[in-house]
Amino acid sequence: MFLTRSEYDRGVNTFSPEGRLFQVEYAIEAIKLGSTTVGVRTDEGVVLGVEKRVQSPLIESSSIEKIMEIDNHLGCAMSGLTADARTMIDHARVTAQNHSFTYDEKIKVESVTQAVCDLALRFGESVHDEDAMMSRPFGVALLIAGIDELGPQLYHTDPSGTFVRYQAKAIGSGSEAAQAELQDKWHSKMTLKEAQTLTLRILKQVMEEKLDRHNVQLAQVTKEKGFEILDETSLKTIIDEM
Amino acid sequence: MPDMIALSHPASGHPQQRQFNPYSENGGTILAISGADFSVIAGDTRQSEGYSIQTRYAPKVFRLTDKAVLAVNGFAADGNMFVKQVRQRLEWYRHAHAKDMPLRAIARLIQTMLYARRFFPYYVYNILGGIEEDGSGAVYSFDPVGSYERESCRAAGAAQSLVQPFLDNQIYFKNQVPQPGHPHPKHLPLTTVIQLVIDSFTSATERHIEVGDGLEMFVVLAKGSPLYGLENIDGVQEMTATNDGERLFVVRRNLKRD
Repeated sequence: MFLTRSEYDRGVNTFSPEGRLFQVEYAIEAIKLGSTTVGVRTDEGVVLGVEKRVQSPLIESSSIEKIMEIDNHLGCAMSGLTADARTMIDHARVTAQNHSFTYDEKIKVESVTQAVCDLALRFGESVHDEDAMMSRPFGVALLIAGIDELGPQLYHTDPSGTFVRYQAKAIGSGSEAAQAELQDKWHSKMTLKEAQTLTLRILKQVMEEKLDRHNVQLAQVTKEKGFEILDETSLKTIIDEM
Repeated sequence: MPDMIALSHPASGHPQQRQFNPYSENGGTILAISGADFSVIAGDTRQSEGYSIQTRYAPKVFRLTDKAVLAVNGFAADGNMFVKQVRQRLEWYRHAHAKDMPLRAIARLIQTMLYARRFFPYYVYNILGGIEEDGSGAVYSFDPVGSYERESCRAAGAAQSLVQPFLDNQIYFKNQVPQPGHPHPKHLPLTTVIQLVIDSFTSATERHIEVGDGLEMFVVLAKGSPLYGLENIDGVQEMTATNDGERLFVVRRNLKRD
């Protein structure tokens, strides 16, 4: 695709004659450079796992945050330009809070995903006297996990503002191998525990460094406890049992 | 009608004060009672201003969904506009979230809509009745700026002061001492509730000049609930529009027109 570069790959609001928006496609490319992120849905809950690239021994690995809470029943893992994800997650949080304020109920996973995707397409040139908006597409993909009246769900969103529901999904640099492995190993009767180990095993396979409790992060959303990021102690136990 | 009041003499050269009152009070009474698996929401149909009857048929009770009915009382124009806006919000919600808004969500929505007008309120008292997501009958009552509460029964409007004490006694058994070993029932059967509603309105019609002409009584039945003899009641008509399981009926009766 880089051979077909043309005048049309600069403007974010201009289709190429073949009907493509290059900047959006390049943003999707940016995600393939990001660290691997895995999400697995089971009937008990949803597990999210991310690889933390600790490039230097001087980095405090606990300061790398790639899984974030949206609401008590919603979590999110990211891959790509993680700074871009902050804007999106902030929007998701505000949407979720506004919903429970107005309707006295938890927002549905699909609704919050839709809200994030609405934002993903809000880029371009802002009109005079309009609030400044994002000048380019967001360079990040999200795995949104949550539980609502329809049960545990996992959604994938990308910079084109498309969202799809998955039983298991991998994004980021190792996603191809990881997705193939998920397709092989995922089954509908999976327990949460099995999902945790599967997530870690897959991350271990695609990571360059040796997996330990400092360079991965695991989170889950369950009916009982809602969203939680597993602390290093429980992470270590799961790694040891793996 | 809004009226203009001019104080002091206009030609006198003294400071003048003018006042515009955007509100009217259009009388009438509304009432709702919930049971274990049903809810009854009723209102009379007379609309008046002062001693004049503007119309003998102006509905105050509105179907929102098959499981939610809203009664509005106070300033009729505000009430009609408010119901119109609530209905629009319900449709938007349906498009955004692919489901009907649950009753408690409607209750909270009504609060936020009323409070949004805290400094120019809708001059209406709302009573929302219907079926909760757990299948229980429910009644929510509101003040004009959105303070709300879930209750088993509530009367509002012109004859509130006549009807509410009657309901307190007949529904909550206030000032009644139970027989030893026979505690007061927590929920009343539908037939009893319907009789209480009809009696409340005939009595209010007798004693209050702003109540009368017609009675509209909505009955919401929970999913799987029997009809409890509702089909034998005079003037009953089914209004159910969906196949969700809840059933909605309306009973129309005449009240004295004097």
